[in-house]
Amino acid sequence: MATSTDAGAESVHHDDHRPSFYDWKRWAYSTNHKDIGTMYLVFAIIAGIIGAVLSGIIRWELAEPGVTILPHLVHVPDAMQAQLASGEITQAAVDAYRIDAAKHHYNVMVTMHGLIMIFFMVMPAMIGGFGNWFVPLMIGAPDMAFPRMNNISFWLLPASFALATISMLVPGNGQFPGFGGGWTLYPPLSTSATHHGGASMDLLILSLHIAGASSILGAINFITTIFNMRAPGMTLHRMPLFVWSILVTVWLLLLSLPVLAGALTMLLTDRNFGTQFFEPAGGGDPVMYQHLFWFFGHPEVYILILPGFGIVSQIVSTFSRKPVFGYLGMAYAMVSIGFIGFIVWAHHMYTVGMGFDLEAYFVAATMIIAVPTGIKIFSWIATMWGGSLEFKVPMLWAIGFIFLFTVGGVTGVVLANSGIDTALHDTYYVVAHFHYVLSLGAVFTIFAGFYYWIPKMSGYRYNGFLAGLHFWITFIGVNVIFFPQHFLGLQGMPRRYIDYPDAFRFWNHISSIGYAITFVGLIVFIIVLFDLFLARRRAGANPWGQGATTLEWTLSSPPPFHQFSELPVIKPDPHH
Amino acid sequence: MAAHSDVHHDYHLVDPSPWPLVGSISAFLMAVGGVVLMRGLGPEIENGGFLGDIFNHLFTKGHWPVFLAGTAGVALTMFGWWADVIRESRRGDHKPVVDIGLRYGMILFIASEVMFFVAWFWMFFELAIFHEHRAHWYIPTWDEGVAAAWSSWPPPNVNPFDPFHLPLINTLILLLSGTTVTWAHHAMQQGDRRGAMWGLILTVALGLLFTYVQFVLEYPHAGFRFGNTGETTTANVYGASFFMATGFHGAHVIIGTLFLFVCLLRLIAGQFTPTKHFGLEAAAWYWHFVDVVWLFLFTFVYVMPYLTMQGQ
Amino acid sequence: MGGASAAWADQPVERGIDFQPAATPAMAHIHSFHAFVLPIITVISVFVLALLLWVVIRYNRKANPTPRMFTHNMLVEVIWTIVPVLILVAIAWRSFPLLYEQERAPPAALTIKVVGNSWFWQYEYQDLGVTVASNRLPEEEARAQSRPNLLAVDNPIYVPVGENVSVLITSNDVIHSWTVPAFGVKQDAIPGRVNQGWFNVDRPGIYYGQCSELCGINHAYMPIEVRAVSREEFDRWVVSQGGTLADAAPAAAQPAPAPSAPAAGASPTR
Ligand code: HEA
Ligand code: HEA
Ligand code: CUA
Ligand SMILES: [Cu+2]
Repeated sequence: MATSTDAGAESVHHDDHRPSFYDWKRWAYSTNHKDIGTMYLVFAIIAGIIGAVLSGIIRWELAEPGVTILPHLVHVPDAMQAQLASGEITQAAVDAYRIDAAKHHYNVMVTMHGLIMIFFMVMPAMIGGFGNWFVPLMIGAPDMAFPRMNNISFWLLPASFALATISMLVPGNGQFPGFGGGWTLYPPLSTSATHHGGASMDLLILSLHIAGASSILGAINFITTIFNMRAPGMTLHRMPLFVWSILVTVWLLLLSLPVLAGALTMLLTDRNFGTQFFEPAGGGDPVMYQHLFWFFGHPEVYILILPGFGIVSQIVSTFSRKPVFGYLGMAYAMVSIGFIGFIVWAHHMYTVGMGFDLEAYFVAATMIIAVPTGIKIFSWIATMWGGSLEFKVPMLWAIGFIFLFTVGGVTGVVLANSGIDTALHDTYYVVAHFHYVLSLGAVFTIFAGFYYWIPKMSGYRYNGFLAGLHFWITFIGVNVIFFPQHFLGLQGMPRRYIDYPDAFRFWNHISSIGYAITFVGLIVFIIVLFDLFLARRRAGANPWGQGATTLEWTLSSPPPFHQFSELPVIKPDPHH
Repeated sequence: MAAHSDVHHDYHLVDPSPWPLVGSISAFLMAVGGVVLMRGLGPEIENGGFLGDIFNHLFTKGHWPVFLAGTAGVALTMFGWWADVIRESRRGDHKPVVDIGLRYGMILFIASEVMFFVAWFWMFFELAIFHEHRAHWYIPTWDEGVAAAWSSWPPPNVNPFDPFHLPLINTLILLLSGTTVTWAHHAMQQGDRRGAMWGLILTVALGLLFTYVQFVLEYPHAGFRFGNTGETTTANVYGASFFMATGFHGAHVIIGTLFLFVCLLRLIAGQFTPTKHFGLEAAAWYWHFVDVVWLFLFTFVYVMPYLTMQGQ
Repeated sequence: MGGASAAWADQPVERGIDFQPAATPAMAHIHSFHAFVLPIITVISVFVLALLLWVVIRYNRKANPTPRMFTHNMLVEVIWTIVPVLILVAIAWRSFPLLYEQERAPPAALTIKVVGNSWFWQYEYQDLGVTVASNRLPEEEARAQSRPNLLAVDNPIYVPVGENVSVLITSNDVIHSWTVPAFGVKQDAIPGRVNQGWFNVDRPGIYYGQCSELCGINHAYMPIEVRAVSREEFDRWVVSQGGTLADAAPAAAQPAPAPSAPAAGASPTR
């Protein structure tokens, strides 16, 4: 291709010397997809730890019946303490205050746990982190299509996270800070002045607006990059499946997030400008919000898993030393999952009173998604079939994922049946379902991808023993947390409960013990990270051997600051 | 630059830029400032000392500084960022392949905007079509207010606009502006800069006229209110859906007009050539999108309720 | 699975791993549907696990040093597309009638209006002139009376056994959800809307439920307690609440006895 005839003097920045790690502008002003990807990953790890700590508080509180832990964490306002000291109010009144505050804080923690894990951990890790790093590398592009816009996609996230954090500190429900209406933000709870009259909810709305803007810009960037910047010979049907998965995911983002933005705007005007979209007395309808939310919310859950599907495809093929089985079927299964994902949203609303016909439609449409998903599961297994499997740590996570995601998926099929969802909706059965697909699904793929690509990204090899330990502890821990929750759900324990009847004690207790195990795993992960950067075991360009065939493995580890100054030419793969 | 000579592709590797960071911080401030204006971050702090004073003056309800700072930052970002884009384009960074990328980008952006309007139409249709369904099985004696609010569409007490007066004129204005912007574009392609200039001037003028008609002539005479005024509760949601849907469209008209105006300035400054004028094309695409949204609004928000009322 | 034979298990039990026993035909059908899908999903999961274990054992690098490079096999691809479709059709086949049963309420002998409030339930037997507000029974009282904490309420409602009861559910403020697991009923209480649920209780007993839609700080503290009793006892209860019986039946003439527990000797815990 033609050499650029460059007139600008600023372009000296384009030399291939990596700027110093300690140069703050390298990060703050970055237009480099790998640096931006790194920032996303760091952000995701921090958010993930915060989200995990919040879930720890949840599990701690639920370990025993009664409101046990949170009252001790409540800050009693100075004024109230002074009143107590002067005998104006009794200790009992302060205790009652603590209990009420604890109940609200529990809801805030659940809400923020859900939002943080979804918007600030999984999405940044998968799309912003791995997507940014590896989509350009895998399609043979020098960078993203809009490198500067790429950076604002990232920087909007800390802004959004800061708003969410402030929302936990300013008045939410009366004197209690924070928004406690669940990650779904249903009105009237979220709009009612008696329940959430404070600024918390407004900040949270704007936080999500900004996170959404970040993702929409990112989506535009990825689609343009994938459509416009593939190296010569890299046809759509030769793209690695991870690139396909990101492509489908960002389409879902592009088309679903603006609808959420509309719904959030309606919440905002209902709260502040008296529009009453969701207020029956003014002619509105709270259920309308649920439709708008889930029209976004259901595609969102596939946004959370599709990149994981892509990651697992790469890993399974690499460590089986075998090309992916049924490549086209795999790619188009994701396309159809994405497509069907847009027409099943009301399966979250079976109890709002939709009527037989609508519910029957949503039952049927929802269950159909099991077919393309099944194609993926079986194709992964078929990829391994006849292969020469090597159980490196990424492969452990990937195999663990395939099984645990299946378990989560089939309970989804149970929930899809409106008739039985009557019994299970809003119980811990649902919590168990979505943690199997998220915490044991999406998170497993994130760790799989992390161990798979960290040698490439950092240039160092991880400690295999510690990493294996991380896997096994986490594998056991999360199953102990979430499997018993199926039982709780079947027995009827509702979600979003700070306190429960004594009969639910046993399985809740087990579940909390599971959390303690998982937490140990998280510590091991942090040790792995430290070890990685302290021990500095050099990784070669391709630590995984002949199974690793995608373009990123042709580059040094870490890759040059700007790769593919000479575009690679891709030849057809004989196996497709 | 020496290093640059071994870059053998046409993609645009953008220089590091402060704008994303500045823009994000500004967006953050704008969001906080917006909440401060609407609600305040909390009640005034009494006896809070110096920090308490700062809080009271910046963060309690109705204070402007944070919002204005954020808005200024966002404006600065847009200005600086797009100035950079123009500079890069003029120094030749936008090779054909980059140009195609910009086109993808603009189309996808418009696609996301379409989905944003889908939300508002969804809301409108749900209210308009299913009110009867709801009113039907609702048991009126339980809550008369709700029963009344849902009994008809438009709801009782609403006196909708006659679509065949100002709204029709506005429809014609927008359709006409769609032709003038096409004129400008074609003239540009032919190298007729004067023609392009007049086409743009007319389009901008028509855009302004539309805004004038809508916000100054039409809105103040609405036979319904925006939001909950306490007087006529049942009409609220009609007013809300009408003003939010048409208002968001109006905001897009203003954005589109600004976009076209910037293109006009750039045209006058001689920045467009018959073969390279993507800014103008993007503005034209955007303008057509705004136009199409209006046709839907006109049909479903203005004409349809009016006709149903006539039929009653 | 199931255990519909147990007579008084109308609330969650420690270490329980399955649905609460059914007290209505609708819930019995949910049980049988679950008994139908649970083996299916278990088999699918175990099948996937078995395949994984097999490849792990058979195709690890030691056992199979040189990979085979096939990437297609039309036959298995068709099978793993068609078979899941068939399984899903089978599930839908059982699922739709269940849904239909829940949605199409039969004519009811008794209609109760249920109104969610933050945070208690209000019940109106409009035809009978009875209104009940059910609040959570405070913990000390519940424990003192050996009734289940967080499930027991101060004023339970009564329904007659063996008759179709229709519940019309709405809310005064935010969304709640009226749920009784043993009845297979869960309907959101949405302000402005009226949802309908129905049940026909098989046998006398005390049935508990909990609010199932996040409704603010006391979401966990607005339980539901329904006592299913014989028609006579139900009538006595109505009168004791100051209601009038629809047909001014003899029961109305009798002096109103204090409402008693539905069946002597029946303890609320199993
Ligand atoms: C990663 C995220 C993710 C994924 C992938 C899924 C996947 C699925 N989900 Fe899940 N879901 C959530 C995240 C996710 N979900 C979340 C977060 C919620 C709760 C939201 C809230 O209320 O807060 C939720 C809630 C939820 C509900 C609402 C429950 C309720 O509130 O009452 C329903 C109901 O239909 C449902 C169904 C499904 C189905 C059918 C799938 C399917 O896509 C699963 C398909 C996969 C398989 C079936 C396994 C593999 C297939 C085979 C091995 C083939 C053979 C199988 C068969 C023939 C069955 N989900
Ligand atoms: C991705 C999403 C995600 C993840 C990972 C988790 C993880 C966990 N969740 Fe999550 N949870 C939700 C999403 C998630 N959750 C949602 C949406 C809700 C509903 C909220 C609502 O009702 O509104 C919910 C609700 C919820 C409840 C129900 C509360 C209630 O209804 O009252 C409980 C209770 O036990 C719980 C527990 C846990 C636990 C113990 C974990 C543990 O698995 C956590 C252990 C930690 C990890 C597994 C690692 C974390 C990851 C990293 C450190 C990042 C690594 C990054 C890189 C390598 C780049 N969660
Ligand atoms: Cu009422 Cu939850
Ligand atoms: Cu869903």
